[in-house]
Amino acid sequence: MSDSWAVDVEDVSKNFGDVKALDGVTLRVRQGEIYGLLGPNGSGKTTLIRMFVGLVAPNAGTVTVLGQRMPNVAMLSHVGYMTQAAALYPGLSVEENVRFFAAINGTEGGVKVALEFVKLYDRRDSVVSTLSGGMRQRCSLACALVHKPQLLLLDEPTVGVDPQLRVELWAGFKEMADAGTTIIVSSHVMDEAERCQRLGLILFGKLLTEGSPDEIRARAGTPTLEEAFLSLSQSRA
Amino acid sequence: MSGKRVAAITKRLLQQFRRDRRTLALLFVAPIVILGLLGYLIRGSASAQVVGIANEDQGPIGATVAAALARSSGISTTTIQSSDGDSKLKDGSLAAYIVFPSDFSSQAQAGTIAPDVHLEGSQPGTIAPVLQALQEALISAVSSQAPGQGLHVQPRISYLYGGPGFDTLDYFGAAFIGLVVFFLVFVVTIVSFLNERSQGTLERLMASPLRRGEIVLGYMLGFTVLALIQSVEVLVFALAVLKVHNSGNVALIFGIEALMAIAAVNLGIFLSMFARTEFQAVQFIPLVIVPQFLLSGILFSVSSEPKPLQLLSGVLPLTYAVNGLRDVMVRGADLSWGSLQLDVGVVAGFIVVLVIAAATTLRRRIA
Repeated sequence: MSDSWAVDVEDVSKNFGDVKALDGVTLRVRQGEIYGLLGPNGSGKTTLIRMFVGLVAPNAGTVTVLGQRMPNVAMLSHVGYMTQAAALYPGLSVEENVRFFAAINGTEGGVKVALEFVKLYDRRDSVVSTLSGGMRQRCSLACALVHKPQLLLLDEPTVGVDPQLRVELWAGFKEMADAGTTIIVSSHVMDEAERCQRLGLILFGKLLTEGSPDEIRARAGTPTLEEAFLSLSQSRA
Repeated sequence: MSGKRVAAITKRLLQQFRRDRRTLALLFVAPIVILGLLGYLIRGSASAQVVGIANEDQGPIGATVAAALARSSGISTTTIQSSDGDSKLKDGSLAAYIVFPSDFSSQAQAGTIAPDVHLEGSQPGTIAPVLQALQEALISAVSSQAPGQGLHVQPRISYLYGGPGFDTLDYFGAAFIGLVVFFLVFVVTIVSFLNERSQGTLERLMASPLRRGEIVLGYMLGFTVLALIQSVEVLVFALAVLKVHNSGNVALIFGIEALMAIAAVNLGIFLSMFARTEFQAVQFIPLVIVPQFLLSGILFSVSSEPKPLQLLSGVLPLTYAVNGLRDVMVRGADLSWGSLQLDVGVVAGFIVVLVIAAATTLRRRIA
């Protein structure tokens, strides 16, 4: 049953000119799962995530999200997307930003919950241009999850966020996943990868290997995920 | 002060420009285009003001003056019936017409030269050449007919539009009200829509359930609110402080201004698709604004332009908006005038085309 998958990517390829960004990728993410996309810069992680929201159309293969073949504008209100750089309106306050993204997704409530989740409720009246990088990142996260999406796409979500808050955010992600939200995280931070239930290693547009952190460590025969990642990349490069 | 450090900055600057072909083109091509356009516009426009002559004089002097007027270089003349004069002023085929009444010669012999001069009047710049040509023609005719006599030259001047107090600001004011709004709204829109792209929020909007048409429409309404407030301000300032002549309906002027503002918003959104940086967006200003400024009839009336440029003027939205504003403010036009219906219709048509173009381009850039 395809609709038990939150995301179903079937043999997808994408070229940008001569560059093969994705080359025959097949991967499936279960509902309520925290799935980590791992790979070096330029490996195709962001292209894949942009496909999940219909911003990039594959040259070959199919992308099905929450049971709908992409691109499909109507189902995007069930998806939250946090882009790599904190994409916010610098002239608006934190709350105004979150409220705007709630409104374009068709909801009004949830603003307070989202701001408390990212620990920015006390700073809700601050104008975004006055915030530090880590706070902007958190505000951007609040904008991505304010409409309580079924699928949350996070492109390097905790870059610039201090370790203590990172732990708290991940606890929050875990809670959301337990409540049924599917979360796909792209990262090259191993500490984050460790917290995912399953990982997909992407290199040169190909899915190298897939599995839980333990499985991947065992497959590479290394004690840490970082070493596993390096050894698996080198063996295929 | 280190020469090397200064040189590093200079070199880096030139390196950046080497990769930015568009800026280079603007620096070196735009001046030639703009100056060439201006030169062609001024040198190429040959047509002098056309003045209608209706000679009803039963004596000889009217014919002599008419012949002298026909020889004058500042205007060109055509013979008309005095009864046709007003309608020809209205349709723009004449800038003025002069009637020599039936008693013109007998009055002249009695010591008074009194031709009837009917001026179109909306364009102050066209009045002086007509009056000057008449003055010269009268002097030369009278000196041959009745030398040495002390004559009173008392032309009876009437204005179809405006009046003796109508000045250059009255003529330009009408057009500038529209231009100011169009220009500023365009700049603000193109830059803020580009910001949306460069700060990454456009990507987020595209990944939301928003439709492209909703984005374009939302932008249009937002900027239109600002533009309407600005339009009111500009209009009040022009009418109440500058006391620019207005013989039309203020609501109608505001309506045309509003249409221009909406057109400018959509032009801004549409063109922002073709710019990657704010720097490039700013470069659209000379390309979009300068030709429209020169060709829309603000400075040089479209009918006096060289023919090829008239064709170009005919496809610029500002041409119609400026013409509409002048029709209302100078000539007191209302919506029953066919020319005003055309102007308003064309500007509205541009808006529709631009909205569609903006929405389609938005889609193409992202997919």
